Amino acid sequence: MTVVNPQQTFPGRILEVTLPAGEGGRSVSVGGQTSLPLLPEGERPNAAAIGIEIRTGDEELPPSLSHAFGGKGTDPATLAGNLVEESGAQFLFLSLAGCHPDLGGHAVSRGAGIVRDVLEAVPCPAIVGGCGEEETDALLFPAVAEAAQRPVFLSYADEKNYRLVAGAALAYGHGVVSWSPIDINMAKQANLLLGDIGVPPHRVLIDPLTGGLGYGLEYTYSIVERIRLAGLSGDGALARPILCHLGDSWKAREALDSAEESWGDVIARGRRWEEATAWACLAAGADLLVCRHPDNVKTLRGMVGAPWR
Amino acid sequence: MALTALEIYKLLPKTNCKECGFPTCLAFAMQIAAGKAGIDQCPPASEEAKETLGAASAPPLPKVIVGTGERAVILGDEVVLYRHEKTFYHPTAFAISVSDALDDDAFRDRIRRIRSLSFERMGETLAVDMVAVRCDSGDPARFAAAAAAAKEGAGKPLLLSGPCDALAAALPSLGPDRPLLSPPVGEGEAGARLAAPLGLPLVVRAKGIDGLEKALAAARAAGACDLVADPMPASLPDAVSLSVYLRRLAILHRAREVAFPTAFDLGNGFPSPFAAASLLVPKYGSLLVLDSDDPADIFPLLTLRQNIFTDPQKPIQVEAGIYPIGKANGSSPVVITTNFSLTFFTVRSDIEASRVPAHLLIADCDGMSVLTAWAAGRFTGESIAKILSESGIAGAVSHRTLILPGMVARLSGKIEELSGWRVLVGPQESSALPSYLRRLPPAAFAPADV
Repeated sequence: MTVVNPQQTFPGRILEVTLPAGEGGRSVSVGGQTSLPLLPEGERPNAAAIGIEIRTGDEELPPSLSHAFGGKGTDPATLAGNLVEESGAQFLFLSLAGCHPDLGGHAVSRGAGIVRDVLEAVPCPAIVGGCGEEETDALLFPAVAEAAQRPVFLSYADEKNYRLVAGAALAYGHGVVSWSPIDINMAKQANLLLGDIGVPPHRVLIDPLTGGLGYGLEYTYSIVERIRLAGLSGDGALARPILCHLGDSWKAREALDSAEESWGDVIARGRRWEEATAWACLAAGADLLVCRHPDNVKTLRGMVGAPWR
Repeated sequence: MALTALEIYKLLPKTNCKECGFPTCLAFAMQIAAGKAGIDQCPPASEEAKETLGAASAPPLPKVIVGTGERAVILGDEVVLYRHEKTFYHPTAFAISVSDALDDDAFRDRIRRIRSLSFERMGETLAVDMVAVRCDSGDPARFAAAAAAAKEGAGKPLLLSGPCDALAAALPSLGPDRPLLSPPVGEGEAGARLAAPLGLPLVVRAKGIDGLEKALAAARAAGACDLVADPMPASLPDAVSLSVYLRRLAILHRAREVAFPTAFDLGNGFPSPFAAASLLVPKYGSLLVLDSDDPADIFPLLTLRQNIFTDPQKPIQVEAGIYPIGKANGSSPVVITTNFSLTFFTVRSDIEASRVPAHLLIADCDGMSVLTAWAAGRFTGESIAKILSESGIAGAVSHRTLILPGMVARLSGKIEELSGWRVLVGPQESSALPSYLRRLPPAAFAPADV
């Protein structure tokens, strides 16, 4: 051909990270690539992994999710088992939102008990999320780390709590999700701090904070692109797999409001709101996506496979 | 490759004659490098400089205009691969298809639904840009009538998709509206001969980049200038990689022979059109044709486009003023924050989550977040007191109590002193607002003696 070759090569390689499974489950590896996403160039040993989130606590479900979850069980272990099986999710993200004082105020021991039950019921790899309330999480992470009978990832360690979360993870052999608020320098700093206190690099995932569609997604999009370009260009502290948690897309009024008829059916629209967020994150370079809608897990799983590896 | 300001400076006369309107040659060079000035503004420039800089400052991706007047759609004319390098200028255009084989009622209904795909978000109207009229009937007269009806009914620029005899039939009446012609693959040269005398934009379709290079050359040889390239992907991965490679060739390699805006037909049975559109908005699709007219599909896609094509160099602002949340009334709390859009949306959604009706008072701080605005002196005791007296909030509520972001608690005294309002210090983080608002005693918002 007379046109030049448009393929690009990079000096760096994203570190491969494996999320281990329980007995009978299949572990998931992400990262390991030398190229930008969704392109037939460089090496890409692993496709992006798609997981599903289960949340504890008293939260009203968005109409689209309440429709999808109907009849799938109410206790976290049953719901997780059914949704993982139905959707083909490669990993589970268990959010212990119920421990938040406003969302149920579960005792820490109850949160840890749920983790134990869910991990027994579902053999796929798991990430366990705190409730977001600083004081509760400070008690919750050590309890979860102890209760989990197999290695999981704890989500998340930030600038304030990283010693505590990393300490809990190190003591019981878990991994850590390293969180930063849409800031490439803080993402790098967070990984360096985790490294300093001894968390092995292959047990760290970057969570750059994912803004939902219409509510800051563009910031996430550009930060993910920048982190990925930095990693491929040789910045080791950023050459790590990136996790995008799509939960924020379910907070948008556009994903929830059934009153606006001109916006179309809220059940279909809510699902699409998350799906569009997911594709944009993949286009930017995300290696793991956490969805809430089982049909989105299925759709994304079906499409991010072989031809794009 | 783009030249740096210093490289440009070396080519200039270095006399600081100011004829270009800038104080020095170096300042002018920096403007050229930023794409804000052209070498034609420098009369004394040497021929060599004009030639070098003329080529370097021509946009790497040409601009193609479809339609006329206010609704005209601009395709292409982009300068970077990543929005964080500068910005993306011309949002991906969406065209929704309509078939000329529909009967009159179905056709009118379809056009009505396409026209109603319009949504208000953040002070902008997000709407579908074009109507793609497909010739499925095989009848040129019917196609011409359908195209005219589509233009009349939708009031949007048209993409005319059909064999050249059908396009030719539609052009006498529609030519002046500058439709985008899209003949089938294999009729590219005939299409170019149709487009050339009228100066109309033309979609050139061919499989892959090699195929496009030949077809685009043939279309140019036949006299067409405003070209849009459709690489005819067979699958989703194909669509993304072709789109990325075409854009890389244009921006990184300045490969003029394939540097054109792109069009992708995601209708007509293309697999997973929603996923393809979601990927091609950030990944360089200039024009996407969809068959779906379901707002549940189109609204998320238009919102994604709004996000991706936001200028990352400018913080997005919301309008200053009073935003009632829930059934806010005269005894509802008043919460103040700045007009940085992310701040606004976060605080608003946290107030909504509290289920406590409230008035959100937004201060104009040039789109800065609370701490930044405070540090820059835009969110101060004085400015907040001024908002309390001038925004009309005093008329909207009967109490005189303001909830201030916890980060700027230190402003409380000044606000109370200047405004006479009582200040309650809110939480440090917006995420704590729901529990904070729920725990507020109702007595806090009893009518003040005014």
